[in-house]
Amino acid sequence: MCSLLRGEEMCLAQLFLQSGSAYDCISELGELGLVEFRDLNPSVTTFQRKHVNEIKKCEEMERILGYLLREVKKADISLPERDVNPVAPLPKHIMSIMEQLQRLEVELGEVTRNKDKLQRNLLELTEYTHMLRITRTFVQRSVEREPLQAQYEEFPFLEKDTMLEYSSMQRLGAKLGFISGLIQRTKIQAFERMLWRVCKGYTILSYAEVEEYLEDPDTGEPSKRVVFLISYWGDQIGQKVKKICDCYHCHLYPYPSSNEERNDVVEGLRTRIQDLHTVLHRTEDYLKQVLMKASESVYTWVIQVKKMKAIYYILNLCSLDVTNKCLIAEVWCPVDDIPTLQRALEEGSRKSGSTVPSFVNRIPTNDAPPTLIRTNKFTSGFQNIVDAYGVGNYREVNPAPFTIITFPFLFAVMFGDLGHGAIMALFALWMVLYENNRKLKNTRNEIWNTFFEGRYIILMMGLFSIYTGLIYNDCFSKSLNIFGSGWSVKAMFTEGVWKIADIRGNRFLTLDPNVTGVFTGPYPLGIDPIWNLASNRLTFLNSYKMKMSVILGIIHMSFGVILSTYNHLHFRKKYNLYLVFLPELLFLLCLFGYLAFMIIYKWLMFTAKDSRLAPSILIHFINMFLMQGDGMQPLYPGQTGLQVFLVVIAVLSVPVLLLGKPVYLYWLHNGSNRIGMYRGYERVRRNSEEELYLMRAHDMEEGSGHSDLSTSGERPTEEFDFGDEFLHQAIHTIEYCLGCVSNTASYLRLWALSLAHAQLSEVLWAMVMRVGLRMDTTLGVLFLVPVFCLFAVLTVSILLVMEGLSAFLHALRLHWVEFQNKFYSGTGVKLCPFSFSLLPSSFEHDGLL
Amino acid sequence: MAELSFNKDHGYLEGLVRGMKAGILTDTDYHNLAQCDTLDDMKLHLQSTDYGKMLSSSEEDLTVSLVDSKLRENLVTEFSCLRSNALPPLSTFLDYITYSYMIDNVVMLITGALKQRDVAEVLPRCHPLGAFDQMAAVGIARTPTELYSAILVDTPLAPFFQEAVSDTNLDEMEAEILRSKLFKAYLESFHSFCKSLGGATRDTMCPVLEFEADRRAFIITVNSFGTDLSGADRSALYPSCGKLYPEGLQLLARAEDHEQVKAVADCYPGYKIIFDDPEPESGCKTLEDRFFEQEVKLNTLAFLQQFHFGVFYSYIKLKEQESRNIVWIAECVTQRQKSKIHNYIPIFK
Repeated sequence: MCSLLRGEEMCLAQLFLQSGSAYDCISELGELGLVEFRDLNPSVTTFQRKHVNEIKKCEEMERILGYLLREVKKADISLPERDVNPVAPLPKHIMSIMEQLQRLEVELGEVTRNKDKLQRNLLELTEYTHMLRITRTFVQRSVEREPLQAQYEEFPFLEKDTMLEYSSMQRLGAKLGFISGLIQRTKIQAFERMLWRVCKGYTILSYAEVEEYLEDPDTGEPSKRVVFLISYWGDQIGQKVKKICDCYHCHLYPYPSSNEERNDVVEGLRTRIQDLHTVLHRTEDYLKQVLMKASESVYTWVIQVKKMKAIYYILNLCSLDVTNKCLIAEVWCPVDDIPTLQRALEEGSRKSGSTVPSFVNRIPTNDAPPTLIRTNKFTSGFQNIVDAYGVGNYREVNPAPFTIITFPFLFAVMFGDLGHGAIMALFALWMVLYENNRKLKNTRNEIWNTFFEGRYIILMMGLFSIYTGLIYNDCFSKSLNIFGSGWSVKAMFTEGVWKIADIRGNRFLTLDPNVTGVFTGPYPLGIDPIWNLASNRLTFLNSYKMKMSVILGIIHMSFGVILSTYNHLHFRKKYNLYLVFLPELLFLLCLFGYLAFMIIYKWLMFTAKDSRLAPSILIHFINMFLMQGDGMQPLYPGQTGLQVFLVVIAVLSVPVLLLGKPVYLYWLHNGSNRIGMYRGYERVRRNSEEELYLMRAHDMEEGSGHSDLSTSGERPTEEFDFGDEFLHQAIHTIEYCLGCVSNTASYLRLWALSLAHAQLSEVLWAMVMRVGLRMDTTLGVLFLVPVFCLFAVLTVSILLVMEGLSAFLHALRLHWVEFQNKFYSGTGVKLCPFSFSLLPSSFEHDGLL
Repeated sequence: MAELSFNKDHGYLEGLVRGMKAGILTDTDYHNLAQCDTLDDMKLHLQSTDYGKMLSSSEEDLTVSLVDSKLRENLVTEFSCLRSNALPPLSTFLDYITYSYMIDNVVMLITGALKQRDVAEVLPRCHPLGAFDQMAAVGIARTPTELYSAILVDTPLAPFFQEAVSDTNLDEMEAEILRSKLFKAYLESFHSFCKSLGGATRDTMCPVLEFEADRRAFIITVNSFGTDLSGADRSALYPSCGKLYPEGLQLLARAEDHEQVKAVADCYPGYKIIFDDPEPESGCKTLEDRFFEQEVKLNTLAFLQQFHFGVFYSYIKLKEQESRNIVWIAECVTQRQKSKIHNYIPIFK
């Protein structure tokens, strides 16, 4: 609990790692995730550090692993269980892993290349068959009337033309050449134009589209292709045509000169394609086998390489002690964990079989240590809320433990509805019960993750909403009458105040609590359910909720101010207690605390009988500042005197707050130069550092001045600037005094939002559900089903999700601004321990794992 | 008024390009790169920049040419991302950027064909930004007219050819002249396009293009010394949209040696500093480097204004310069010429 309130006590420690066992020691530390390493050679660039080569090797392995993972993913093989957590491999084992990986890469590369080649081959052959099949229809010969031709009826003009030209050309008998092939459909227009321009019409181009989509070997995308046949004369033009074909990346295939040849080729192609298919299948099977084998251990390798790289990265941060042949690392470590750290180092040394042990050495420092607050799955959500505002300073009071209660409570004040709270709590409970379910845990849906991470917050919010819902007596905007209302309508008649005619004649009648029997006493829990029927319900609830929010706000803020004492006491700034805390508290309580007092006083002192005489608190409060109000009837005797006294105290506390601290510090600084912060410090400094260190160590054992030893111990006389200090205090004073007013007003959002929530749910009931309920029986039964569906959907989407989010945001603001600025500075740095489990994997980022 | 609706069409891309601009290597990056001893070190360092894993995925050994092609690939990927998302008139503007690379490619292919090189050998050396379908067929043409009427008439370069059409046989000299003519037409057309866009685009792009035009004029003049290109021939090649137009160009056409060129440049304060004698400690920088330096300076200015297209042009040019810098450093590293390693041109100081 103490650690949650203040954070862990940290110290700077030096690790002396024997160079032989450094790797194992750091591997142990990485598994534990205890300490944060500091960079001891910040001036050295990345590639000049000691273990660059090893890191490069790791990167090479990562590259191969990435390649493997991509291939595995492409082949649609699922990776085996991911719960393995192998330790980092020993340096001597790296080579074998590397070799295995390289062998796999070569093998895979070869197989995929083969497969690629085969596929290309297959594509070529298919293209060739298509070409042969289609060109046959271009050059019509009488013998070749085939059923195939029917498909090309859509190009009748083409056929006729080519036929004619072909026969005329044949008559010319010149050196007629043919070039045929396939081209991408999009390029055919430009191709045709260019052919025409370059060859000046000495060529004849005929083309037809292949219906099937053929895969592009380079991009792997299916695309439409066009089969073309160019007939030309003369070699010169043939050269040019060939060049143009090259330039448009046409796939050219030899054009068979005779019909027999064509048939032979087609036959040959068919068998070759069949052969290729079988070979391709075999290759694919083999590839799958290789990948299966690789996928078994690939995850282990990924983890191992990741760990190895991290270890070398850390080793690069250490500095080398040449004489002692050991590495020196500086770490931030929680004081409580030093024995664990020591044990981890011993374990590491033992594993590597080193004779000289590695050891830990605490060193003094005046750097501000990072903050570490240990959390569990329940508290981490609330700690995250606080950390989102700012990580606390070292050993500062942490608002998170209080937030666990206040946050859901303030949320629930705004979200008070029994039914909605119950749904929310059930949803969160489901998440909590199934939190170990892999499917829920490992999803990549960010929105879902947000909810899942905050499941305990949602659970608390739901439970508190049930509570406030009971207090407001609201369940889906209806009231529950559990204990029986304290009001009785019947009594009005038995006492003879109302007649039956009154009911007929009036739409609204007022119950009079002063009539005996009408008001028998307050409802045992929360608001009386009869208010749900009353037409002045809103007026009643508004007054109640408004006053409640002000009271809650003042309690919350005073609590924040009181928490600041913990900081003042802990940081040994007792003067702050009198010069800051006291005036702050007085200012708040004398003005707003008194307001809360008046509210409660009025509640207690005025009953139904004299409620007409009850004064307005607002007027009284205003008069308190104006120091008048003699004409009014006082709430209690001696009111004016007390009020004047309180205002005077509040006003007087402002100059104390403004001037007290700077003046005191000024006096302290000028008058107490001789009082050193650390006894005997000056003397020791003149001797040697070592002696000073021994002295510290001695102190440490004594356990005196535990934590602030490192902070106040070595601090040289601080520079003191009165102007600076005064300015800061002036800003703080102005902020605080104005803040008290505006923050109190800010708490009215509790009222506003709870009002909005109640009204919205009432509107939803009246506009949707009641419409369905009013139908007559037979039709209504059918009609109620869709109406209820609509009601349910709207309830969840608007009232639970949207309203919930808005109430969450406002609760967040009330904590961050109104509560935390009273005591929490939040300018610290979080400890980020070196831990394998926290390291991001580059593959996860790419979505490969 | 154009500013009001600029973001509707081009805001996304401008934001994108400004974001990419933030990834341009800084002085510290260059400083670190210059300290590298091997290409692997450079790869390691480039990993920490926006280039990321660009080099690490390759299986082959790291060579300078591999670095060069990867850098180029990177640039093309970025550019094609911009181009495919662009709406007119930005798309036209981006196309204009590619035309200069297309001209270079055409000329390279012609020279390749003249030297009886195989097209497949020359093609990979073409800049991928200026790739077009008909590229491989350029070698077929024998004369510029043929080149135009048969091959390039369908390409966007066609309008630039109107002045360049001639029936002389293509030889190497003619190819260079063709390049200059095409560039002249291209620059003038680009200049007038930017002018017609108006607004901040005109304000930022015109100085850059004018500088480009003048640079070409200077370079043509300096390169023509010692060849049989006469002054009149030369003046036909000068782009007429620069600051030198018209008096400076006339003077340049009459110039006979380097001193006279310098005298022309002295009349223009912007160019005077380029031709000034190098200070002793600055090392021997070539004229080309000085022009590049000046170009970088002009291009960085484009980022000071918003709602214009100049940033796209400048980004591509700066990125190109950055590629040149990295390749230069890589060359120096592999050839162990540590003394020359600092001759790169830093972009954002």
